[in-house]
Amino acid sequence: MSKRIVIGQLGPTLDKGYKRNRWENWRPTISICQHEDHLIDQFELLFQKKFQDLADQVTEDIKSISPETKVNHHRIEYRDAWDFQDVFSGLYDFADNYNFDTDNNEYVVHITTGTHVSQICLFLLTESRHFPAKLLQTSPPRRKRSNEPGSFNIIDLDLSKYDHIAQRFLLEQTRDLDFLKSGIATRNTLFNRMMEQIEHITIHSNDPILLTGPTGAGKSQLAKRIYELKNQKRQIQGPLVEVNCATIRGDTAMSTLFGHTRGAFTGAATARKGLLVEANNGMLFLDEVGELGPDEQTMLLRAIEEKRFLAVGADKETQSEFSLICGTNRDLLNEVKEGRFREDLLARINLWTFKLPGLAERRDDIEPNIEYELSQLTRNTGRQVHFNNEARRHFLEFAMSEDAFWSANFRDVNACMRRMATMAPSGRITQSVVKDEIERLNQSWQTPITCNEKDNNILLKILGTQRIEEIDIFDIAQLRTVVNVCFESSSLSEAGRKLFAASRKQRKTINDADRLRKYLAKFDLDWQTIKKSS
Amino acid sequence: MLVIDGQQGEGGGQILRSSLALSMVTGTPFRIENIRAGRRKPGLMRQHLTAVRAAKKICDAYVIGDEIRSTELTFRPGTVKAGEYHFSIGTAGSTTLVLQAVLPALILANGKSTVTIEGGTHNPFAPPFDFLQKTFIPLLNRMGPTVEMTLDRHGFFPAGGGSFRVEIVPAEKLTGFDLMNRGNIVRKQATAIVANLPIDIAKRELEVIQKKLSFSTDCICYKQINDTPGPGNIVTIEIESESLCEVFTGFGEIGRAAEAVANRAIQMCQRYLKYGAPVGEYLADQILLPLAIAGRSQFHATFMSQHTQTHIDLVQKFLDCRISVDDRQRDGVTITIL
Repeated sequence: MSKRIVIGQLGPTLDKGYKRNRWENWRPTISICQHEDHLIDQFELLFQKKFQDLADQVTEDIKSISPETKVNHHRIEYRDAWDFQDVFSGLYDFADNYNFDTDNNEYVVHITTGTHVSQICLFLLTESRHFPAKLLQTSPPRRKRSNEPGSFNIIDLDLSKYDHIAQRFLLEQTRDLDFLKSGIATRNTLFNRMMEQIEHITIHSNDPILLTGPTGAGKSQLAKRIYELKNQKRQIQGPLVEVNCATIRGDTAMSTLFGHTRGAFTGAATARKGLLVEANNGMLFLDEVGELGPDEQTMLLRAIEEKRFLAVGADKETQSEFSLICGTNRDLLNEVKEGRFREDLLARINLWTFKLPGLAERRDDIEPNIEYELSQLTRNTGRQVHFNNEARRHFLEFAMSEDAFWSANFRDVNACMRRMATMAPSGRITQSVVKDEIERLNQSWQTPITCNEKDNNILLKILGTQRIEEIDIFDIAQLRTVVNVCFESSSLSEAGRKLFAASRKQRKTINDADRLRKYLAKFDLDWQTIKKSS
Repeated sequence: MLVIDGQQGEGGGQILRSSLALSMVTGTPFRIENIRAGRRKPGLMRQHLTAVRAAKKICDAYVIGDEIRSTELTFRPGTVKAGEYHFSIGTAGSTTLVLQAVLPALILANGKSTVTIEGGTHNPFAPPFDFLQKTFIPLLNRMGPTVEMTLDRHGFFPAGGGSFRVEIVPAEKLTGFDLMNRGNIVRKQATAIVANLPIDIAKRELEVIQKKLSFSTDCICYKQINDTPGPGNIVTIEIESESLCEVFTGFGEIGRAAEAVANRAIQMCQRYLKYGAPVGEYLADQILLPLAIAGRSQFHATFMSQHTQTHIDLVQKFLDCRISVDDRQRDGVTITIL
């Protein structure tokens, strides 16, 4: 049987009374122990030293009406009982030093007595579980001077225990989740669970989020939705600033991101704020964050950690507070290993990482996405577009089969629906439209790089099987061409001239050999090694 | 195991208290279900819990369900131990009720006992001390034991703080009696007591009594007491006849005129005097249990409440006796225990 322990402050006004007629008044602390249906085993009475006499009187009275109750005195000193910090600290220290035994006791915190400030503090400390307790609110009897103990209300702050409130929360959560998913009733369990997590984090945290996954998986779409949800919840007021880091490489990158002062460099006729400042109080979405140069990475790290950074040419730091979402289709861990991405920056943005699966990994979501695209098309064109029953079955069968690669993911879905809608006679997508589209899709998914065996053998010779497996097909194709050019050239400079023939015309300084050397170095290759294998 | 339905009859705490008393006297274990089921706050309240714990202490009982608001209780009594007991009772007023639960066992125990009870001694929802001392105990003593009650200090609702002592010399067995006639009235007395309140209240109450019951001046007395923590007021009218002394009580309450307090006692007294029956409504209810234990008794009461009917049903579950009620008479009810 658990003991019930009340923790309550002595009410210097409400509990006051030394004369015999004190029993005619409602005294909250006394009233707690007067209820026939509540047995209080222990009362932790908190009061300031100057109220010792009253505490003694109240204790004596409790003993008389409730001999079952053991009253313990606790002195808490405030300089000012209306000073929030003072009172909070006092109550906090009490809670901190008190030995709560929740396995054997049930605790209630009485909040009817004390200043409003102390009531607020007790509420906050109970809500934060520093007091592992329920709240107790007492009030006088309806009939004045009636000797009745009045009301005794226990309030449990665990909102999940209230069906009605829990239902509302669930409804709101469903609505938010629906919003994040653009109203698409996705079916994939893993994807849905991930979206639930994202919804929770969006609402409960301001930490950076990292979205990874193949191109077209919906990273920037999701980032936009996260921003809008945060904005709806009034968590951020500023704008959403989107940057694709791949587009801001080179000299202007620093000033694009962090701004510059007037005259910071040649051509800087006016000052520029920079995207980070624009995102102040809002959200910054850095897509393709793996493409950021080393200097920008350093500055960004500082901007995230300290909320301040130096604009180009400025001698005073600029401040900006923003939520950060990063997107990448690269393996950033690998980028760190290769020395292309700062480890500390990754650690900072990698707090919440979500890998958005490609469409091929969640084929059960293809149908709802097709429905979504159809409804979007109808909305945007003002023209109803439907599938024929037969055509729908045919298309879905193909779309969900292993034959459909969906290599550009949602971009593919979007494009193909667009095409079919355009081709649909009077808004009906027919069997023949579907047939044509399937053919078109199949063609577009045919791997353009058919690996030439001879060429592959050359690379195999130079790099070895193990090394080749670590390199993307994307890079292999380029490397193969570069190596072939090298074979046909007599020197590094000649090969460089051939390889950079087009861009060298526009350049002021030319160092093609150096460019080629650096490129080869990425694969741990050099001119000598290649020449030796030829 | 004997199972008692706690919501039968008036369905209050008395079924529980009487079950405890009878269980200890007979050594019969019982389980009571649906305790106070129909009430606004069902289950065991503090005062009931106190009674259960007092009973448990006196006979070393094995108890399951003795928790606040519990609606089911199992009580397996051990041997009743005479001795010195002290009970502190909260929420002023349940002291006499706790005594009801333990007294029958102690008057049949193996030795002398002293019970001290602290708390409320005069509460509108329980038999006041004066009634037990002057009406109930003398009749109980007529059955064999010697019980003496002494008030040390008054305790009024809500402050409590009262105390009384009960000295018990037990009897080997109880002997029943007949109480069919009142006989002549030999003494009348009205007493008004105020605690921590103006004496004027007591005087006003007595004035009304004097007038309405035509009491002479030497039949009234008032007292002002200051040794109790809270305020309180009580007025009692004693009617002593050849066969017993009946006590009628009015309780002072905040917002209630002294005259109204006196009137309540007067009305009860007038009703009692009008009928010829010796046993008043409250006494009928109280005396039934020990008389049923004693066996072979008969009494004539002014009125039978639902409390008493519930009590009759309960008593017959624990005891091997038959109780018949004859309510065909014009001036009251005859209850016969065989």
